[in-house]
Amino acid sequence: MNAALRAEATKLRRSPVGLIATVALVGGTIAVLGGITAAVAGGDPAMIAKAGPAAALDWTGLLSGAGQVTAAAGMLGCGTVLAWLFAREFTDGTIVGLFALPVTRGRIALAKLAVYACWVALVGVALTSGLLALGLALGYGAPDRAVWAGLARLCVLVLLTGAVTTPVALAATAARSLLAGVGCTVGLVVVAQVGALAGAGGWMPLAAPALWAASGGTAVTTPQLALAVAVGAAAAAAAWWTWSRLTCRR
Amino acid sequence: MTSLRLDRVSLGFGHGDGVHDVTMSVAAGEIVALVGLNGAGKSTLMRLALGMLRPARGTVHVLGAPLATAPARSWARVGALVEVPLAYPELTTRENLHLAALLHHADPGCVDEALDQWQLRPVADRRFRRLSLGTRQRVGLAAALQHRPDLVVLDEPSNALDPASVILLREHLTRRAADGAAVLVSSHHLDEVARTAGRTLLMNRGRLIGELATDGPDVERAFFDRIHDDDRRAGVGTAAR
Repeated sequence: MNAALRAEATKLRRSPVGLIATVALVGGTIAVLGGITAAVAGGDPAMIAKAGPAAALDWTGLLSGAGQVTAAAGMLGCGTVLAWLFAREFTDGTIVGLFALPVTRGRIALAKLAVYACWVALVGVALTSGLLALGLALGYGAPDRAVWAGLARLCVLVLLTGAVTTPVALAATAARSLLAGVGCTVGLVVVAQVGALAGAGGWMPLAAPALWAASGGTAVTTPQLALAVAVGAAAAAAAWWTWSRLTCRR
Repeated sequence: MTSLRLDRVSLGFGHGDGVHDVTMSVAAGEIVALVGLNGAGKSTLMRLALGMLRPARGTVHVLGAPLATAPARSWARVGALVEVPLAYPELTTRENLHLAALLHHADPGCVDEALDQWQLRPVADRRFRRLSLGTRQRVGLAAALQHRPDLVVLDEPSNALDPASVILLREHLTRRAADGAAVLVSSHHLDEVARTAGRTLLMNRGRLIGELATDGPDVERAFFDRIHDDDRRAGVGTAAR
């Protein structure tokens, strides 16, 4: 397992996909929030109306905006990285080299999922730290207990978003296609948004993390969040099983 | 000792493609070549031997163990290159060889030796995507062979290689066999096969149709005579295929 983990970590660390997705998610979110804050501070009435609760020039507004941006952008970023991790072996043709090894394909799939989980955690910590720095730079003062709780929720939102995005690994493997993985990601985002608009609430696993973060933890129950995690775990298990049973016809 | 054995192995893909009732073996210390026209089933046979495909009928034994129950660790003694090298475009030559050593549970120290043996030192720190086709093939061969496997399976390994690299490959395979490894290699280059292999198996329409004598004056003619003869018996026109 150690060999597979090291191999997968090396591939993600050296790939432009991992770097671009990290920069886009962390740097992009901070830049967007900075831009919204500047527009609101400048008195732009259209932006103030569109931003809603995020228009408040304090920690609450900043955290509200971060939650909205992270819910959608996080799923796109996570899905892209996950699709690349799994589908690239098929599109690059390297899957044939992953047979006839003492490291089984099942272990390689588990290593991919573990590396993905570590990357999601890294993005969560980096994004939360970046948001803390942005708030301090904007002069919102030292965070109180409620702000720390909000920052922690944002970090957990990234982790939960990473979890509910794991069906992408299965789609990319089943179709043996990077585009299929990215398409699945877009589909998940659409389903999550439509589900939220339709009022599916916390029992909609794809939308539950965002609703939970946006409501300050009140609109979604623990079993509902557990369901979201279970969906992610089930998809990860299915991806592992599929890789364990892979064959490689030309 | 037999290192690779296929007993009455069949796997069809429809339209008659695939392999049918193939029985063959490769002993330790032996180099066996597999020759045939495009679509004859050589790559499918190799994929079956390496567990990439599961036979519909028959059994495959690798290093003495049935493929279906062979422990994963036994694959550490196998080196294979089928179509695409185990190498990633974003990694350098050295990083790719390190990764291959890791995945074969081999001593990473073998990488430095492989860089010298396969004359890859000048491109050791160059990314794989920036290498020429022939150099990529040499990286793939180094990745497959650097851990000194006891069973070597190579599908058309001389593809894209320049004459100097072909000699390098020939010397390497001969050395591996002299050290006791079993080598199965497919090729379209009959003259190269004649120089390297101890035995040459002829494959046509998914079946092994016997051995090809490569010590005659015109190996190419002998090859086509055997293929045409087999096609005629089956009532199939070679050109029509």
